[in-house]
Amino acid sequence: MQRIVLVIDDDGDIRAVAKTSLELVGGLRVVLAESGQRGVTVAHDTQPDAILLDLMMPDLDGRATLAQLKQDAETATIPVIMLTAKVQADKQELVGRGAAGVLIKPFDPMQLSAQVCEILGWPISRKDHE
Amino acid sequence: MLMIARIRVWIIAASVVSLMTLAAVSWLSYGNTRELIAANQRLAQAHKLIEDLAALHVLLDDADSACRDYALTGRTDSLKPYEATLPQLEVSLQTLRDDVAASSNRSQQFQDLEPIVRARLEAMKELVQARTTSGFDAAVQVLRSDRSKRLTDEMRQRISVMQSDEHNDLLDRERESRVRARSTLRAVGLTCLLGIALLLSASLMIFRLSRQSERDHIALQNAERIQRAIVNSAAYSMISTDNVGVVLTVNAAAEKWLQYRSTELTGGSVSTLHDAIELQARGAQLTRAMGIPVAGDYHALVTKAGLGVADEFECTYVRKDGTRFPVSLSITALRTGRNDPSGYLMIATDLSEQRAVEKMKDEFVSVVSHELRTPLTSIKGALGLLVGGVTGGLPPKAEEMAQIALTNSDRLTRLVDDILDLQRIESGRLAIDWRLCDVASLMKEAADSVRLLAEAEGVTITVSPCSASISADQERIVQAFINLLGNAIKFSPCGGDIEFAAEMTTHSVLFRVEDNGRGIPTDKLETIFERFQQVDASDAREKGGTGLGLAIVRSIAQQHGGRVWAESELRKGSKFYVQLPLASSGSPPTD
Repeated sequence: MQRIVLVIDDDGDIRAVAKTSLELVGGLRVVLAESGQRGVTVAHDTQPDAILLDLMMPDLDGRATLAQLKQDAETATIPVIMLTAKVQADKQELVGRGAAGVLIKPFDPMQLSAQVCEILGWPISRKDHE
Repeated sequence: MLMIARIRVWIIAASVVSLMTLAAVSWLSYGNTRELIAANQRLAQAHKLIEDLAALHVLLDDADSACRDYALTGRTDSLKPYEATLPQLEVSLQTLRDDVAASSNRSQQFQDLEPIVRARLEAMKELVQARTTSGFDAAVQVLRSDRSKRLTDEMRQRISVMQSDEHNDLLDRERESRVRARSTLRAVGLTCLLGIALLLSASLMIFRLSRQSERDHIALQNAERIQRAIVNSAAYSMISTDNVGVVLTVNAAAEKWLQYRSTELTGGSVSTLHDAIELQARGAQLTRAMGIPVAGDYHALVTKAGLGVADEFECTYVRKDGTRFPVSLSITALRTGRNDPSGYLMIATDLSEQRAVEKMKDEFVSVVSHELRTPLTSIKGALGLLVGGVTGGLPPKAEEMAQIALTNSDRLTRLVDDILDLQRIESGRLAIDWRLCDVASLMKEAADSVRLLAEAEGVTITVSPCSASISADQERIVQAFINLLGNAIKFSPCGGDIEFAAEMTTHSVLFRVEDNGRGIPTDKLETIFERFQQVDASDAREKGGTGLGLAIVRSIAQQHGGRVWAESELRKGSKFYVQLPLASSGSPPTD
């Protein structure tokens, strides 16, 4: 069964790249959300297998979104991987807040799905795109 | 100072001269006074002898008159003065004997006189007996003989000689006494003159000393005023304490910053101006680092300075109202000679503004980091997917162009990473995760990280570690080694060899990355560690470097208490050295 990954990022280009990468390289199904608040709703509705969540977003930022996801019993168990452009982001702090892992931007689109699978302990299913 | 020394010498010399003169004059006066007393006694004795001789003469004359009167009148009551005189004469003779006992001349003269006196008394006795037993004519017969007259004359002559001799002696002694008295007077006079001279000199000297002292005092006051003005106008908080951390003085900046009046601070402990928890932590840190117990009170501030170690560190000052502000504190021990410190001087710089700027810089870097990385993520991601063929095959020329764009987006990513890294390292705000690291493990991790790149470039890396440990942030040190190895790979010819070696020295581990590449000109061996400085301006473009790698290596080495340098020979290769302190006890370097 194809796994569903929710990508929450306010930058449309990054959402597009991530979706292409995860779907075409990793063979995953991707749903998108352009804000933290929208991401919480989508997560609640679609019950994805994992969430890629941008840290710095206007209004509801990554930390607040993560908190809301963890507070909602429906989404609390969904693993969340934080996506951040801040190299000095405190990984331990984010993990302490309930994140499953942290990925740094810019990511390698050819490696993104493999990194997600490695963090979540999923078998790496690489779609043959050659 | 020279004048005070001269005055001291003068006072000592004057005191010695005065004491010696006084001793001499006192000795002379004492001797003269004793002589005068003795002379006076002798004068009194002489006068007494003269008077006693005169008294003897009178007694004999009285007795003689009484006898003659009896011889002429035959009245027995005329003999009463004679009879009364006889015992007195004995007493007078005994007195004279005592008077002359001290003088041999007078004794001899008295011995010659006494028989004559006795003979005259015998003649008187014979006259009385002749009148009593044989009558008036017999008495006249005795009177007409010249024996009595001769004895009287001789006695008078001897008494007169004795009186004259004694009188002459008296005159000699009086003369001698006058000489001694004059001598004593001269000595006393001289002493008085000397005393007056010394007093005048001392007064002059005291006057000069007083004027000099007044001038010195004014100069000292002026110097103190200038010093206080400097201290109070300084943009530093200055607090001096005694050797147990009790505040002695504070300058105007300290009063203003800490919101205390100086009178409220002086006499109190300096540790009340510090964050108590911070002091405890510093005490514990110094205890570990120095191997001696350091209490978490004022000891935590002064122990290093007290041992003669320069001590400058950042800490927190607490104002009167409890608010806090960061300072850079420099502590100096105040010593007199080689003794233990008599106190400490604590000079603090307010870091509030610096911290505010750093915070702004952090926020700026954070924003820049995000704003640059966000478009880079899209560009790199899109190009990666294109070049990776995920979106379908590209025409050869388009693929080549997409690859160039991807390579440069990677380079731009590295540049952003390096700028941010360098900024964080050099600002000192990159938290160092101090751990005891095995040298061989660090070297292996760095070499493994670049192994694929080396293989792609056809370069061989030989790792020769040593058995040692260093206190370091493993991630940062490996980053530094990767930068050096990456450079060596980039500048080595295909088939080249890189030696990555380490050797232990007395207090450090010396790492060496040696390649047989093109080498570095001598004039660039220093500048290559500066930002954006490369051997060739085209290196950044051709080799994909950012021009920041070696600057990062140097910053990391310095942050670990080490250093980095390069040696090279053109067209033969380069050697990069990193020297890092050995782990002494597994503890990180202290401030």
